[in-house]
Amino acid sequence: MDELLLSKMRLGIVAELLGAHWVAFSELQRSLGASNGNLGAHVAKLIDAGYVAEEKSFVARRPQTRYRLTDRGRDAFATHVAQLQALLEGES
Amino acid sequence: MDDVGRAQAREHIELVERILEQSSRRLRVGGEFFVIWGFYSAAAILVMQLVVDRLLPQVAFWALLPLLLAAVVFSSLRGRAIARCKGRMTAVEREFFTVLWIAIGMAFLANVAGFRIFPQWGMAGLWTVATAIVLFFIGAHGNRRATFGGILQVVALLLANLVPDQAGYILAAGMLAGYGGFGLVELLASD
Repeated sequence: MDELLLSKMRLGIVAELLGAHWVAFSELQRSLGASNGNLGAHVAKLIDAGYVAEEKSFVARRPQTRYRLTDRGRDAFATHVAQLQALLEGES
Repeated sequence: MDDVGRAQAREHIELVERILEQSSRRLRVGGEFFVIWGFYSAAAILVMQLVVDRLLPQVAFWALLPLLLAAVVFSSLRGRAIARCKGRMTAVEREFFTVLWIAIGMAFLANVAGFRIFPQWGMAGLWTVATAIVLFFIGAHGNRRATFGGILQVVALLLANLVPDQAGYILAAGMLAGYGGFGLVELLASD
């Protein structure tokens, strides 16, 4: 299994990005109920692994950071979830 | 990782399912765009019918120009304002914009480039088909009001075909009620 996605928070971030074209940091924070620092640390790990891409811009003179899932992240997520399901089916 | 327990796997699968279910929520569109463009399109078709009936001079077409400019400027400004405030763009919203641009873009192209091959009300009919496709796409994502608006437009198209002398009035009514009406109902529902 993908060790990076064994974290519930990181798995949640990737799942949030899966159904979206892009999601802003503030929206991710709201959806996952995470603190600023905690979410930032988890997202940084996903970016380092190439699972998530970051875009920084200014909206009405205020900085906005938004994220999207990369193809690599999408593949990793699909494989990881399939393995989780296989584990459940194997033990049922 | 062999140390992942069954309980943890189930918990993670449930988390993913819950998030994916929330993110596939109904497609939400701005009702104001439908009101503006429904009103403009209906006005354009109506003016055409009134000119054909000699109730208005041909110069009346120029009165549509400020309306068209107002609709374009409003859509552009409002679209930008909404994009700024949005925290996310869902995959289905992106798909919607693709369908919108393809349907409306093709109808516009046919109106501009193919005006010689469409008979009198052909262009208005094309607009009706394009806007109905947009409404049915929204309807396919769980919005019954959009489906109803699309049906109104199709009914208007069929009726116009039966009464060609009144085609402009019928298509304009279909555009106003189906497209503009859908937008109005969406605006009221969102309050």
